[in-house]
Amino acid sequence: MSKEIKIEPALHVLIVDDDRDDLAMVVNAFRSLSEGHWQVHTATGMGEALQHIKPGKIQLLVLAVNSPVSDVSLWLSSLGQPPTHLKRVVMAATPTAENRAASLAAGADLFIEKPVSPEGLKVVFVDLSKLTGWALPPSVLSGSPGVSVADLIQMECLARNSSILELFHEQSLGRIYIEEGQLIHAVCGELAGERALNKLFTLTGTFELHDFEPPPERTLNRTWEVLLGEATRQRDSLNARTPSGSAAASDAEALATNPAGQAAEMLICSGTGEVLYHWQCPTVAARLTLLQAVLVRAEKLIPEIQLGKLDRLEIQLTAGRAVLQPRADRLIFVRLGSEKP
Amino acid sequence: MKKNFKTWFSEVPATPGLLTCGVRRPNGKCAGYGDDRIYPAEKIEKLLQQFADLNAPLDAAELAPRWSTWAFEYGLLRFVQRPDKWLLMLLVSPETEAAHKLDQLSEEFLAGPVK
Repeated sequence: MSKEIKIEPALHVLIVDDDRDDLAMVVNAFRSLSEGHWQVHTATGMGEALQHIKPGKIQLLVLAVNSPVSDVSLWLSSLGQPPTHLKRVVMAATPTAENRAASLAAGADLFIEKPVSPEGLKVVFVDLSKLTGWALPPSVLSGSPGVSVADLIQMECLARNSSILELFHEQSLGRIYIEEGQLIHAVCGELAGERALNKLFTLTGTFELHDFEPPPERTLNRTWEVLLGEATRQRDSLNARTPSGSAAASDAEALATNPAGQAAEMLICSGTGEVLYHWQCPTVAARLTLLQAVLVRAEKLIPEIQLGKLDRLEIQLTAGRAVLQPRADRLIFVRLGSEKP
Repeated sequence: MKKNFKTWFSEVPATPGLLTCGVRRPNGKCAGYGDDRIYPAEKIEKLLQQFADLNAPLDAAELAPRWSTWAFEYGLLRFVQRPDKWLLMLLVSPETEAAHKLDQLSEEFLAGPVK
């Protein structure tokens, strides 16, 4: 597998992190790994970040999220209408399926775990380079272990690539076929389709990205966001029940101490109201009606207040909150918090 | 809310970053503060009505908001409805003092007697 990556003369990156020690570590690592090709700017808050972004030079924004209760979607929305060339990446110290979903729903192009080691920083550097299509220095290309299957799928899908992701552990464990940014087939031993995809997410090993070939069959029909979200949720759920699943256990612990951050239900519909995915929704029809009503109201509000497009509606409930994203092509409802609204 | 409502409400527009604010009484009458050229009284009333019209689908979805925030590209629109049907609207610029104080103002509105 080899993909041509364009070379940019000056690559402007903005790192936002309120932890100055972490900020210094990331900046030094990226400058060193890019061999001076990345011009790394820094900010310790969104106000300062906006000053850097306004002139339009920044091509990549990396937003470090150090607290699991931080409102990432609000931070991202404070960017207003970002320039089309600006890629936005959320780097979470405590990554969970919920803040991954919230970040992507709020417009993040990539959601990754905040690195804590030099090797982790290298992995993140590779992820960011792939996302932006920036050239990797030869010293970095020689090896990039630690990139997760989810991260790689996300990058391939966002770039609308066609490829085959093969997972190994001494021998081939399975393959995931990606065609023009959509997952179309997965196979893992005797399993195929979503069961295979979900199984592959729970396995550890190395993986390789191959050039695309048409699969023997097509077993995946839902959008990659939905498939990735479901596979990640199932893996996290499995790990949380496993004593040795330390990373997931810490997620579970964080959620237990932060019930407001726990996903309680989710609904994703097409713009025409076709239900694409729902999870634990007590009343799908009522949620859909609400999303459509909000969309109609938004269309009336937009010309009145002249503050640009609606990004989302957040509803603060007695226990938890709901986030609605009514768009012409996609209607999303996520409720965070306790079992009952 | 220790101050009476009128005093409290008249002080809200002084918060840096607040573009306009309005209130709708249970009888439907509205009042507002802000730049009359950009946000005249009719517009404030219309905005409040738009939110009030969402009560039916919110009830049907069995959601009882303490408040709701419409996040637009260049501003945040907050609605807070009290159980006695008083409705507050705050329109603020993002990343401003007013944006950071939205929850505080909402809590004050929810906690206070309206006179």
